[in-house]
Amino acid sequence: VDKAIPEIAQAVWLITPELLLLGVVCLKFLIGPFLVSESGQAKPGLEHRWGSLALAAVAGAMWLWWDQQVVTTPTLGPFRLDAITWYTRGLMLSAAFILVLLTWSQSGAGVAAESQACLLAIVAGVNLISAANDLAMLFLALELVSIPTYLYLSLPRRDELSQEATVKYFLLSLFSSAFVLYGFSMLYGATGTTNLTAIQAVLASSQSTLAPPLVLVGVVLVLAGLSFRVTAVPFHFYAPDVFQGAPVSGAALLSFVPKVAGFIALVRLMPVDAHAASAGFDAWMMLKPVLWWLAVLTMFLGNLLALIQTDVRRLLAYSSIAHAGYLLVGLYAGHEQRVATPDGVGALFFYLPVYGLMTLGLFAVLAAAGSLQKPITTFDDLAGLSRRHPALALALLVLVFSLTGLPLTGGFLGKVHLFWAAWNLPGDGGQSLAVILTINAAIAAAYYLKLIAAAYFEAPAPHWKGDAAESSGSSVPAAIASGLCAALSVAMFFSPSWVWGLINGSF
Amino acid sequence: LLPNQQGGSNALIVFVEHGLMSTLLLVLVLMPLASALLLVLLDAQGSYRNSRVWALLSTLGSLALALGTAGRLVLEPIGAAVNRGPIHPWISVKQTWFQLGPGAGGKPVELELVLGMDGIAAWMVLVVSLLSTCAVLVSWEAIKERATEFYAGLLALETGLIGVACSFDLLLFYTFFELTLIPLFLMIGVFSKGSARDTFKVFLLPLAGSLLTLVGIVALATTAHSMTGVSKPFSMAELGVALARQPLPIEYQTTIFLLLAAGMIVKLPLFPFHTWLPVAHSRAPIAGSVLLIKLGLLGLLRLCVPMLPLACQETGLAVLAVLAAVGVVYGSLGALAQNDFNRVLAYGSVAHVGVAMLGLMAMNTIGLNGAVMQLINLGLSTGGLFLLAGMLHDRFGTRDLRQLGGLSANLPMFAACMVFLSFASIGLPGLNGFVGEVLSLLGMFEVKPWLAATGALGMALGAWYLLSVVQTLLFGGLYMPVSCTASNDVSNGGAGGGPRDLVARELFAIVPVMAACLVLGLCPQLILGTIEPDVKALLRRELPAEEVVTSTDAGGNWPVERETQVLVTGESK
Repeated sequence: VDKAIPEIAQAVWLITPELLLLGVVCLKFLIGPFLVSESGQAKPGLEHRWGSLALAAVAGAMWLWWDQQVVTTPTLGPFRLDAITWYTRGLMLSAAFILVLLTWSQSGAGVAAESQACLLAIVAGVNLISAANDLAMLFLALELVSIPTYLYLSLPRRDELSQEATVKYFLLSLFSSAFVLYGFSMLYGATGTTNLTAIQAVLASSQSTLAPPLVLVGVVLVLAGLSFRVTAVPFHFYAPDVFQGAPVSGAALLSFVPKVAGFIALVRLMPVDAHAASAGFDAWMMLKPVLWWLAVLTMFLGNLLALIQTDVRRLLAYSSIAHAGYLLVGLYAGHEQRVATPDGVGALFFYLPVYGLMTLGLFAVLAAAGSLQKPITTFDDLAGLSRRHPALALALLVLVFSLTGLPLTGGFLGKVHLFWAAWNLPGDGGQSLAVILTINAAIAAAYYLKLIAAAYFEAPAPHWKGDAAESSGSSVPAAIASGLCAALSVAMFFSPSWVWGLINGSF
Repeated sequence: LLPNQQGGSNALIVFVEHGLMSTLLLVLVLMPLASALLLVLLDAQGSYRNSRVWALLSTLGSLALALGTAGRLVLEPIGAAVNRGPIHPWISVKQTWFQLGPGAGGKPVELELVLGMDGIAAWMVLVVSLLSTCAVLVSWEAIKERATEFYAGLLALETGLIGVACSFDLLLFYTFFELTLIPLFLMIGVFSKGSARDTFKVFLLPLAGSLLTLVGIVALATTAHSMTGVSKPFSMAELGVALARQPLPIEYQTTIFLLLAAGMIVKLPLFPFHTWLPVAHSRAPIAGSVLLIKLGLLGLLRLCVPMLPLACQETGLAVLAVLAAVGVVYGSLGALAQNDFNRVLAYGSVAHVGVAMLGLMAMNTIGLNGAVMQLINLGLSTGGLFLLAGMLHDRFGTRDLRQLGGLSANLPMFAACMVFLSFASIGLPGLNGFVGEVLSLLGMFEVKPWLAATGALGMALGAWYLLSVVQTLLFGGLYMPVSCTASNDVSNGGAGGGPRDLVARELFAIVPVMAACLVLGLCPQLILGTIEPDVKALLRRELPAEEVVTSTDAGGNWPVERETQVLVTGESK
């Protein structure tokens, strides 16, 4: 206890960026209601102020993040600040910039304060997941992501579809949280501690190489719970409905943020070095076949079902499921420090920002091309985009090629790294997974090209003609976000060493 | 290159010249793409008049740059160094890309972006930049709707083609290889009247093949890295040297060869995978057809021949060469059965590519020389015939051979060009096709005579289909579609007055191609002299024990110690 109390006191300094974000969240929730009339109306233009404040908060948090020093010594406190924490923070704060811009264009003046506040809380939550060094803290951080998400989904639009999406996400998310919590309690029961470092140490030092059933059940439950977050098959089924019903900003958030949260949590629970743990019991090795099948099913199901979609948002939902499969390949490859090529977790960490750019950017294109009242839903709405908005269509072209994994975009390098990591694994599992990844990339090309075909090959649908002026006002932030994402996607191809520097924490 | 090789001032000249050459190379590769982007971003809704002038200026600029860099290398080859590896860019620019590792055991993997030029690349670049200019000229009046997008696509395609030729890095090669698919997809999608299904077929089949190639590339690099310890496994030059010193075991070679070849077989295309080509040629705007260079040949030449020689000799000969021989006969017979002129040419090019593949898979100097020559010749003669097909379509609105006949009476110059290019394509002695085809078949004759005999039979059949087209189209009874006789000749701005003979713009497009065919036919040494050092090095298995020079300069510099090598080369000429 004497050692623990100073460590807890010290721990506050490890999470200053999150404290800043949460402070701004409180400010927004407190002041926001006073600027809105009782019927929920507000002066037009209010969203610009709240948007700017959110951007300023993110910028401040980034400044704090950049100043932090990585601490490598293992700690028993509730938080830690190692290379993974540092990287995740940078990743999420950068994504927050884009998400704030998206939210800006998708929430009316009346709910701008609350929407932006929820967004900042979610970002802080993901950062805390990466900083958590304790099962209880990890669970709290996961909930800090989930609960504002429910609100975030329901705020901008109050129609039936949106309600349905929110309720569906709410119930299933609760369900998955229960899984995770149950799994955590079993891990605690088996090891007698909630501290992650201590749990790893206990497991590694156990004499028996047989799995204690309690640990195995616990790990499987946690994996199942987190599979909801990353939309891995068979826990994916809510995604298409929710993506279709939610506003564009909500769908964008769901396509990226829960995946980061889930994968970071999973990486946190896996042993740091696959070979150091092999002395004792290694629950992770027993999970490998499960992960293999999860990855294969997720890739195939996501891509094959995406082929038959007619709604753009459902298509992107299945595409995001497929990408969860690609990311699972990286997780399967895991830490493999004997090879000189990227290890699985490194490839996973490289793919996360690449994927974030392309999916957030694509939703930003949808947000900028449509409006809150008249969103882009079918391929017909996208038809002729190249003539309505040439610059947006060019961004769409780049982002979709990035999703397909074609060169000159970060998506290509991301897939190559994942493929490479899997190919180099000892044994046949990795190489077969690498080949399956390639097959899926080919399948995916078919439906991604439909987006391009709609935007470039077809004439604009009649109801879109002549409303260019109307849709331009609120969509400027989203257009900026899409252009930013497209440019960065190309930049990721030409200077990936920059990202690799961040991943290794040695920037 | 160096007329006077004494004194320090010459070293300075060499330094400046090669720094300049490398910079020009970079500009040459990137300029078409840059001008395409500028065209889209600055003038998206602009008129076709502006776009076509912009595109013409850009392609002419590329042509000038190509003559300045590649033309120079052709006239004064500097690649015959003794201590060189199988693949060796004569000039190059490099940029470190990223580095991975080191892991617990191995050395780090370094990746670079390497653009360079050797003899083969020099000729490819010349042909591509010439054909791009011709493609703009032939589209001059034909493309008026959405011309900005069209010309942007054409320029992007040019970058892809030049980039493939000039890539000396596996991933960069793949990058440009894919980049050639995208503009073609967009061009066919936007400008064809066909179904979306066709568009997807044209894109997805080659894409699926090239993804397998990507698997092969990564497998090749990782295997080579772990077995030979080469620190830059994606650099073709370094990898070539490492694998020549320490070849991979045959079972690895076979697997990797099949993966690598998959994309090339589809792209070529070889016989059972050719189905997308007639669709592409009949749907694409004519510029797309003209620029459909046979990159698969180059891919096999760069990736498989130097890296996996054993697999080429066994699997390549047993599978690819047989498919190629079947393709020669099948393509020629298929061409006989077509009515659309473009489809005739598409099937014909399946046959031509088959002959070149026979030479490539012979894996001897004669055959490889023939294959490289055919890579250049096919671009010129088939490209020229497609240019004529475009002019035909401009005049009559159709390329259907059943509706056209006896045109030599009205269009004498067109007829002359057509006859000339058909002879070039058939392989008449004195024109460019002859030497390449004969060398390819001779090479294969040394290895598998019966395959070479099949190929020769295909050549005879090739003469049959093309001459019968020439006969009905030009010399039979005169007839053309009734609707087309009056006014919808767009070649002269839709001025009306019935189909007229080639106008000056079209002559500017077609005459340089014909001149190139004639010059290369009369003086094949012009190509052979340039490519010979590269081809011989591809096959050489024993490397000197001392340090092998993997590129002639680094980062656009011309280091002093490398200068001696150039001097030696200059004297050995």
